[in-house]
Order: sequence, then C-alpha cells, then structure tokens
Amino acid sequence: MRKKLNRYALLFCFVLSFFLLPLITPVWEKIQAEKSDTTLVVGFDAEFPPYGYKDENGDYVGYDLDLAQEVCKRQGWTLVKQPIEWNSKDMELNSGTIDCIWNGFTVNGREDEYTWTVPYVDNSQVIIVRNDSDITELSHLENKIVAVQSDSSALAAFTGEGATEENLALCTSFKELQQIGDYNSAFMNLESGMVDAIGMDIGVAKYQVESRGETFRILETRVSTEQYAVGFKLGNTKLRDQVQDTLKEMVEDGTFMKISKKWDLEDCVCLGEQLGITEESTGEETESEAVLDNPKNEKEENQDTNTPKGNKSDILPVVKQLGEGMVATLSIFFLTLVFALPLGLLIAFARMSRYRILNWISGIYISIMRGTPLMLQLLVVFFGPYYFSQYINTFLPEQYMITVNLSNSYRFLAVIIGFSLNYAAYFAEIYRAGIQGVPKGQREAALVLGYSRTQTFVKIIFPQMLKRIMPPVTNEVITLVKDTSLAFALAYTEMFTLAKQISAAQTSIMPLFVAGVFYYVFNFIVAFVMKRIEKKMEYFQ
Amino acid sequence: MKVLEIKNLKKKFGEKVVLKDISLQIKEGEVVSIIGPSGSGKSTLLRCATFLEKMDAGELSYSEKNIIHSKHGRAIYPHSKELRKVCENFGLVFQDFNLFPHYSVLKNIVDAPISVEKRKKEEVYEEARALLKKVGLEDKENAYPSQLSGGQKQRVAIARAMAMRPKMLYFDEPTSALDPELTAEILKLIKQLAAEKMTMVIVTHEIDFARAVSDRVIFMDEGVIVEEGKPEDVIDNPSNERTREFLKKLSY
Ligand SMILES: Nc1ncnc2c1ncn2[C@@H]1O[C@H](COP(=O)(O)OP(=O)(O)OP(=O)(O)O)[C@@H](O)[C@H]1O
Ligand SMILES: [Mg+2]
Repeated sequence: MRKKLNRYALLFCFVLSFFLLPLITPVWEKIQAEKSDTTLVVGFDAEFPPYGYKDENGDYVGYDLDLAQEVCKRQGWTLVKQPIEWNSKDMELNSGTIDCIWNGFTVNGREDEYTWTVPYVDNSQVIIVRNDSDITELSHLENKIVAVQSDSSALAAFTGEGATEENLALCTSFKELQQIGDYNSAFMNLESGMVDAIGMDIGVAKYQVESRGETFRILETRVSTEQYAVGFKLGNTKLRDQVQDTLKEMVEDGTFMKISKKWDLEDCVCLGEQLGITEESTGEETESEAVLDNPKNEKEENQDTNTPKGNKSDILPVVKQLGEGMVATLSIFFLTLVFALPLGLLIAFARMSRYRILNWISGIYISIMRGTPLMLQLLVVFFGPYYFSQYINTFLPEQYMITVNLSNSYRFLAVIIGFSLNYAAYFAEIYRAGIQGVPKGQREAALVLGYSRTQTFVKIIFPQMLKRIMPPVTNEVITLVKDTSLAFALAYTEMFTLAKQISAAQTSIMPLFVAGVFYYVFNFIVAFVMKRIEKKMEYFQ
Repeated sequence: MKVLEIKNLKKKFGEKVVLKDISLQIKEGEVVSIIGPSGSGKSTLLRCATFLEKMDAGELSYSEKNIIHSKHGRAIYPHSKELRKVCENFGLVFQDFNLFPHYSVLKNIVDAPISVEKRKKEEVYEEARALLKKVGLEDKENAYPSQLSGGQKQRVAIARAMAMRPKMLYFDEPTSALDPELTAEILKLIKQLAAEKMTMVIVTHEIDFARAVSDRVIFMDEGVIVEEGKPEDVIDNPSNERTREFLKKLSY
C-alpha cells in the first residue's frame, strides 16, 4: 500500500512540477539576469519600417534600433533587439521581459501610462490611397473603408480619447474603420481594393509609398500631428534618465542628426528642439560615410526598379532567412511532441484512475485546455506568473511581496510549456479512447496468465492502443505543425512570424508563399512518416 | 487431493444476487461439466474462481492451500501479488478466445511462461512447439491470430493455457462461438485432454459432449447448484424438476 502511495505521489509531483515550472524559471532567471545588468532589451514591432524591421539580410534594422545601438555603445550596454507582438507590449514591459518600447512609439494620449523620454520625432497621421483612386481630400473618405493598424496611432487619431471632433466625425462618416494586424496585409488589402484607404504615420507612409512605387499616394491633408518618444515602465525614471542623457549627448555632437538623415527622417525629428539645443548640421562628406546601407542609396544604385529592395523577387535569400524560422518551428514541433505525448498518457491514466480526485482534476484540466484558445493559454503561461504575483501581492504585507520579473529567455520556454500543456490534453483523450477501445477480454486473458498490471499495460494493451490511435494522432500532429505559428502571440519568431516580417520589409507577399510551401512540405513529410508507422502495424488486426 | 475447493461463495452485482451459496470441490484428474440456463451464474462462478470477479463472501483454496478466507461473513483476499502467483494453478479458456492479436501464434504461447514465470527460453519454446503439434497447428507458429479460423484460434488458446502447466483448466463455453464442424475439433481435443487425466471444469451447452467427457455434471439455476452427480444420473435421469425442464428445452 505504501509503495503504491509513493508511486502516485511521484506521479503527482511530476505533473505538479510541470505547472510550477513557469513560476520557478523566471525567478531563477532573474537571479541570472541580475548578475549581468548590462543589457538593454528594446521591444519593437518588427514590421514597422523604417523604425524597426527585418532587412533583406535577415537582420533587425531601423532608425530606432540605430539610435538604441548608439545609446548602448555609449553606455557600454549590450543591445537586445526583441521583436514583440504589438498588442502585448504592456504585458511585456510590466513583466520585465523588455526594458523599453522604442519603436515610433506615440506619446500623445499615453502620457500617463509610461515613463517617457522627451519626444524625438514629430509625426503626423496621413491617409494613403491607391494612385488611381478619386480620393484627394479627407472628406472624400465618406462611405469608404479605411484600414488602420490595430492599437496604432492612426486608430487613436480616429477613435482614441484624444481624438479631435473633426476626426471623430470623419471616422463616423466611414463605411467602416477596419483594424488590420500589420501594414503589409493592409497594403495587400488596399492593392486588391478590399479597403479604400489606409491611415498611418507619415514616416512609415513615406517609406511604403517610396518602396512600392507609383501604386500609392499620400493625401495632402494630415489627419493629426503627434510625437514619438521612448517609453519605459511607469516609474523607471533611472533608466529613462540614462537613455535621455545619452540621447542629448548624441544631439550635441551631431550623431543624432546623422542617424536621422541616414533614415531620411530629418524632416520630422524634434529632439534638439525639445531639449533646447540648436543642432549642428553634419557636412555632406560625413553623411556619405554614415549612410552605407541607406535605403535611398540602394535605390539610386538600382536604376531599373523603383523599389529599394533590389532582390525582392529573389526566392533563395528568402528561403535562407526563413530557414532560421524553420528551425524555430521544428524545435517547437519536436519539443512539444516530446513533452506532450508522455504527459498526455499520465493525464489519461489520471482520467481513468480509480481515485475520484484524480479523475476530477484531469477532467477539469482537459475541459479547460480544449475549451479555451491555445493563444490565450500561451499568453497565460508567459505573462501569468507576473500578473499572478501582482495579484497575490495585493494580499501580502510589503516585506513578503514577491517580485516576479520575467526574463526574455523565458519566451521560448513559455511557448513549449503552453503547447505541451495544450496538446497533452488532446493526446490524453485520444489515449483514453484508444485504451478503452481494446476489448476487455485482452486484459482478462493477461490477468489469468499472471501478467502484472504493468506488464499487462506495456505488453498487451499499449501496442493495441497504439494501432488504434494512429489516425487521430496523425491529425493532431498535422494540426500542431500549423499551430506552431501561434507562437507569434508571445513574439517568438518562428517561421510564420519571420515570413510576415520579411514580407513587410520587402513589401512583397512572396515570403508568405514560401512559408506556405514550407508548411505544406513539412506536413507532407509528417503524413508520410505516420503512414509508414501505420503500415508497420498492419501485421495484426 | 482436492485441486479446488470453494465454500459458501456469495456474489452480488449491485443489489442482484447472482451466486447464492455455492460450495464445490474438484479432485485431481476429475472432469466436471457445469450446465444450466442462461443467466444462472455459470460464468460468474468461473470468473470468481479465476479472480476476474471478486466474491463477496466465502472461502477458496487451491491444492488444499487456503487463498481466500472468510471473516465476519466477508471474503478476505490476499495481496494482489500473492493472488497473481496463485494464477499458476489454473488456466482459463474463453468463449471468444482472447488471443493477443499483435503476437504470433508461438509468441502467444511462450510469452507468459517466459515473462511471468521466468522460465528458460529454449525449454519454453520446445514445449510450446510440442503443444502446437498436439493441437495440430505445428505449421501455424508464425501466423497471427487474424489469419486463423475460429477453431484454430481456440486450439491456440488451449495451448496457451497448457503452456503455463496449470493444475487445472477452466473452459467457459469454449465452442459456442464456433460453427458445428469447428466445434467437433475442439471437443475432440478436450476429450483427449480428459483421457490424459487433465483436471477440467467445463461450462457447456453441449449435453452429449458433457455426458461423454465428464466424471461429474453440475446443474446450476438462479445462482445455486440444483443438482450434481454422475452424468448418467443428472442428464439421463434427473431427480429435480428444474433440471428436467432445462434438459427438455435443450433437446428441442
Ligand atoms: N459485470 C456484471 N454486472 C452486473 N451484472 C452482471 C455482470 N456479469 C453478470 N451479471 C449478471 O449476473 C447473472 C449471471 O450471469 P452469468 O454470465 O454468470 O450467467 P451464465 O450462467 O454464464 O449465462 P450464459 O449461459 O448466458 O453465459 C446474469 O443475470 C447477468 O446479467
Ligand atoms: Mg456465461
């Protein structure tokens, strides 16, 4: 009896540790992180050129990242460029997975939500339409479909708290204000006529119109004017001051303007003005040195095309870049299977156990995992520990408060934990059906022959179950291949996220097609392998 | 020597009493047939004797060694490990064979002696091949159960039970899933085992077979042993009204 109890206790601990892992790791990693306090993790939307995006070499580049790089260089920090899912930016910042948001980040309307540097860019919201469109003024947008990026400044300009009366009225005159996840798909929508206009920041608009050529134009009248600054977690003035002082230095010695010119943004920067410094204009000769990888220069070199990305239609470099994402996708895929397949078996045992309590817990677990979106579960696993500790702290006296600071490297772990927990629930139900499908006479025959319970399961039930569950498991595995793309919710750059980023940078949908082919081939191989395994078990019925 | 002894066995499924007060002794070398109408508790009796069902009250001994004893009117079972060891005493042949479909015929027979009894491989294989020859399937050792006829499957099941060298064999309607031609081959095999003095308890509806093979016939109805004795008494000259009725119905 005691031995049996031990076995169940062990099992219970194993399952429990799985749930505690997300709580323990961040603490451990925080300890690690405190040892090296010299990194600056900058969160940015990797589909937001020219402020931050992926270039054709697969590197994250952009105006803001250049500024951040320069600041880090001067401070002796290491810069970590962390692409984030824009909708989760607050959770990322609050939980400490990023140090700041530096990404054409609009101050207006968010003044009290972050600790800000002084604005460095004065930006305006403009409307982009197709060149052949008859819209020339804002009033022509009546009864038209207008697209904006979700949670963007353009959206705020039309519907936010600080929106002007005119803009609110203008917005109600639209047939529809459509929110789109990223600019690249917004342009696809515009190009194909699904939407009539896009509202966006002028800097982005200029870049997009330039790189996409004659197809689009910007309306003269601006929707609104706004300012960009670097946002820190509310109260983090120490880091803010360090960054701001360095920026000031950069303005004073002309580096700031040099970088702004490199990105063709000199018309909208305002940092010097804000700090009350008259900026030194950098000479022509220094500029040409600084702008080696200036998109404008490249354009001049590529006379035959009006896009700055000359190798736009080249599949090979895209495939090469996607390869990195493929590795990420594969690791999610295999690690999920490695954890979810055995965990599912444990849950199935609990589900079929004689002990009511185990039955009950596993039943609830399965029902939650199957009844809520995987994306939500991923968010809970990643951000949950931080918010949970915050909640707990409201009940605790100050000296007992827990500080959970999620580290950036928890991101991948969270993806694996989230996927494993979710898929384990599905596998558990498949196993259960498989085990219950084995005729009860098989177990009885084994028992009468003297097989122990373990032997009966391993030698008699399991192989027969395996054969039964192959078709549903194949289905799940194929779904998993496609589900890996949900890792974008935690801004983990697997293949699909990468494809979207490259697609945005190159203003082309080709990378998305290449990604599609990758997924198809991957699934084709999976289906083939599973078929082979099924064939292998065809020797019995 | 008594191979099996059951005293005052009681078994309920929920509120339904299925076995009322069964006492039974099987001597070494004896062949006993159990007959009775459907639902009378014959299978349940075999399942209690082979530990597939738990009896509520009563005592049970194998080879005159007490296994299940009675305390305050309740059956007390030993630890499951000990119980498993007692399984060496008997073999059970099911109505629907229950061969392991993922094992070949030979593997079905040798696996339990090797992995449960930890006997030497060579010896077990040799014995298994001899058993296959005895049941007339020496050419099928590499076949899988799905490739066999019902009669062949049942012969493998008998060989599998025999390979454990049991002191006695239980049969629960071994031929009722089989066509008449195939039934004959199984009955012939059981008769052969009887001639070799194998101790056997056979639940069957084949009255002629029961008469020919048994030393003793037990007639059960509604969870009690109504009548038992020599086949010529119980089958040809039953003293109990219920037995007469059952046999009359059967002969239609
Ligand atoms: N697991 C069970 N749960 C509930 N009732 C059961 C169970 N197994 C058997 N019974 C009931 O117990 C009674 C005896 O069943 P049993 O199978 O022993 O009869 P039998 O004599 O073998 O009949 P047959 O000749 O049809 O095989 C029947 O009424 C049956 O419905
Ligand atoms: Mg029966």
